[in-house]
Amino acid sequence: MTLPAGSGPLAGVKVLDLSWIVAGPTVGRAMADYGATVIRVESPSRVDTARVVGPFHGDEAGVENSGLYGNVNAGKWGLTLDLRVPEAQNIFRRLAVWADIVCESFTAGVLARWQLDDQHLRALKPDLIMLSSTLLGQDGPYNQVSGFGSQGAGMAGIQDLAGWPDRAPAGPFGPYTDYPAPRFALTALLAALDHRNRTGQGVFIDQAQAEGTLQLLAPALIDVKNGGPALERRGNDDPQMSPHGVYPCAPPQGRAESWVAIAVASDDQWTRLAPLIRADGTLSLDERRQRQQEIDEQLAAWTSRRDAREVETVLQTLGISAHRLATTEDAANDPQLAHRNHFRRLPHALHGETVVEASRYILSDTPANPARPAPQYGEHNEQILKDVLSLTDTEIENLAASGALS
Amino acid sequence: MLSPYRVIDLTDERGVLAGQMLADLGADVIQVEPPGGSSGRAVAPFFADCPDDSIYWAAYTRGKRGVTCNLEDQRGRDLFLRLLESADFLFESADIGRMAEFGLGYEALHERFPYLIYTSISAFGQTGPKAHYVGSDLAIWAAGTPLLMTGDDDRPPVRVSQPQSWGHAAGDAAGGAMLALHARHESGRGQHVDISAQVSAAQATLAQVLAHQLGAVEPERYGGGIKIRGQAIRGTADVADGYIVLLMGPGPAVGHFANHAVKWLVDIGAAEPELLDENFVTYADRVATGQADPALFPRIQEIMREAVAARTKQEMLEISIEYDLLLVPVLTVADIADSPQLEHRGFWQEIEHEDGRRVVYPGPPLNIMVDGDPLGISRRPPPELGQHNAEIYSELGMSAAEIEELRSEGVI
Repeated sequence: MTLPAGSGPLAGVKVLDLSWIVAGPTVGRAMADYGATVIRVESPSRVDTARVVGPFHGDEAGVENSGLYGNVNAGKWGLTLDLRVPEAQNIFRRLAVWADIVCESFTAGVLARWQLDDQHLRALKPDLIMLSSTLLGQDGPYNQVSGFGSQGAGMAGIQDLAGWPDRAPAGPFGPYTDYPAPRFALTALLAALDHRNRTGQGVFIDQAQAEGTLQLLAPALIDVKNGGPALERRGNDDPQMSPHGVYPCAPPQGRAESWVAIAVASDDQWTRLAPLIRADGTLSLDERRQRQQEIDEQLAAWTSRRDAREVETVLQTLGISAHRLATTEDAANDPQLAHRNHFRRLPHALHGETVVEASRYILSDTPANPARPAPQYGEHNEQILKDVLSLTDTEIENLAASGALS
Repeated sequence: MLSPYRVIDLTDERGVLAGQMLADLGADVIQVEPPGGSSGRAVAPFFADCPDDSIYWAAYTRGKRGVTCNLEDQRGRDLFLRLLESADFLFESADIGRMAEFGLGYEALHERFPYLIYTSISAFGQTGPKAHYVGSDLAIWAAGTPLLMTGDDDRPPVRVSQPQSWGHAAGDAAGGAMLALHARHESGRGQHVDISAQVSAAQATLAQVLAHQLGAVEPERYGGGIKIRGQAIRGTADVADGYIVLLMGPGPAVGHFANHAVKWLVDIGAAEPELLDENFVTYADRVATGQADPALFPRIQEIMREAVAARTKQEMLEISIEYDLLLVPVLTVADIADSPQLEHRGFWQEIEHEDGRRVVYPGPPLNIMVDGDPLGISRRPPPELGQHNAEIYSELGMSAAEIEELRSEGVI
């Protein structure tokens, strides 16, 4: 017996998702979107940080109100297991044997203490595919560093690279290593699944989330490693574009500020922009960069009298890259995101309705639809224990009495 | 793992990482450029000792083979179709409509190569009211919403100084293409994977992109921290030689780290031992019911800031590991180049370029064991322009004379 199968290219693929917060769960979410049966295991005692971080339904904090938790766990089945309890460890082993893929993001070494790490699980299931995802990797002098992606942003250099040269780093928004890392993990897991299906061989993936993020800094890293300068934060300056920056606009009713991003990538584009701001359209990139401050002031004087949407439309019509800095309200009303049906409303037992983002890819033949909202705490405990592991009511009662589930 | 598969990679600087992600997993990836070279070869930075050589392009074509092919020419298009005969994946990032103008749009190629997985990377997606918008790193970051959330609150919002948008989109392109591969195993058919960099950028908001629709407040930017309903919380602190990420708070998610920090402060004599009796996991609840002093936690934060200010990033990292604190250095690019952790993990790899230069690269993003053995790592250098023309076009069954003719006529 098993849980009802999903539909899509991964229908029938079974995933045991022991990861938490964002970097790991995002991977399971993508697999659930495309039909995999994903059981998300949560600790009943140590709350998943994603549940206590907003945005919250109705702006009210609460472990069942988090839009973040909802966004990265939609379509999964929920099971609570306290892995410090031996009975829970046994349940986990049985689920690992059921699964094709196990994802986890404990500090390196924790699962080994419970004999639930790759080596022990592989002895039970030789063709297991397992992802262990941590900030800095399974080995090395700093493998025990605790942290969320915000710490990862510090260790991956991104924190230092966002901001102004005359100020302390502003940093990116939130736990940045949680954003690139799932892309690398998902791609590798799907390759591993393909490989296993052809060869019967199991695969272990040791992910350092920081190392995934460093791929997005590769040009700067290669530069410094080979005798070049070390990149430092430089505001919105770009060595190959001018003007290039964020300019103030006339705020719409009810907003304190409004901004537009403008990136002029060629002399041709500059020739088209210059007349609007009464500047010299013949200036070269070097000349524009030499007179950057003056040009920025002229451009800001022009944008600040206009609505950001107007600036965006006027410049895009001229073939110049521009876009208002979207608020989340703007995103909700963005005709392009609506065209892609990017925001999905799902019926929700507690909230009536919830909203999640759609899959980040549109596949023409096998489009994804999140089957259900993220599970509430332990929502599917009984169903999973009965349908997947064929436990009887008495066995479930005994399990509950051992403290394994709560 | 992906050695049975071939990728034809027609991307320029927009999305060139996607093919490399599959190359790092073992796929045979062929980067296709116009005879004059990809626009990606003009993207900064450039090698200090070789100022015409783009580090950006090298970074994301490492591990691939390279050919040239002039799609403006009918013979080039015919040649490109021959390349696709043996391909499982195509990645492209051309301006919207350009591939169709060449007769190489999805519909035409799907009819001809029903097996082919055709992945398109663009700023806003292949169709829709903004599909023809001109994309850029900054505009994409603005449209996806992370840009407005980032920066000092008294200055304009600010991006990451190494552009990020296309990297996120490329990561989604690789994942989407692999999902389509699994679909092909079921259906026997390839399909079109449509990547929007705007949607990819929305990932970098911690789901705050949903805030308005959930009835939550709009996030506000605050340098080195966050601001909630106008209240700023700094997430970094000054140390003797730079900055650290320091997240200290009470509550069920992070309160135990605050307890550990108090232990350290007591050990160094900066805080009184009585504080060890306080439990910051439950502190906030007790403040709410009047059982704990609301001034206590801010005082400890102040003590903590003073204690770290006198120490270096490296000292604080070691203390963080010893006491299990939620604290790490804000590493600079220069620091990362010297990281003992990356050194230990064998992250850096030296690759010999075709011209003999030895260049140090970041390694693949994952350490992978297949059936107990490490997955082989390719040390193939980035291809010079058209480097594998003879090799690959002869694999297609062309004679040396035919290849030379195409070369002399500017097709390759």
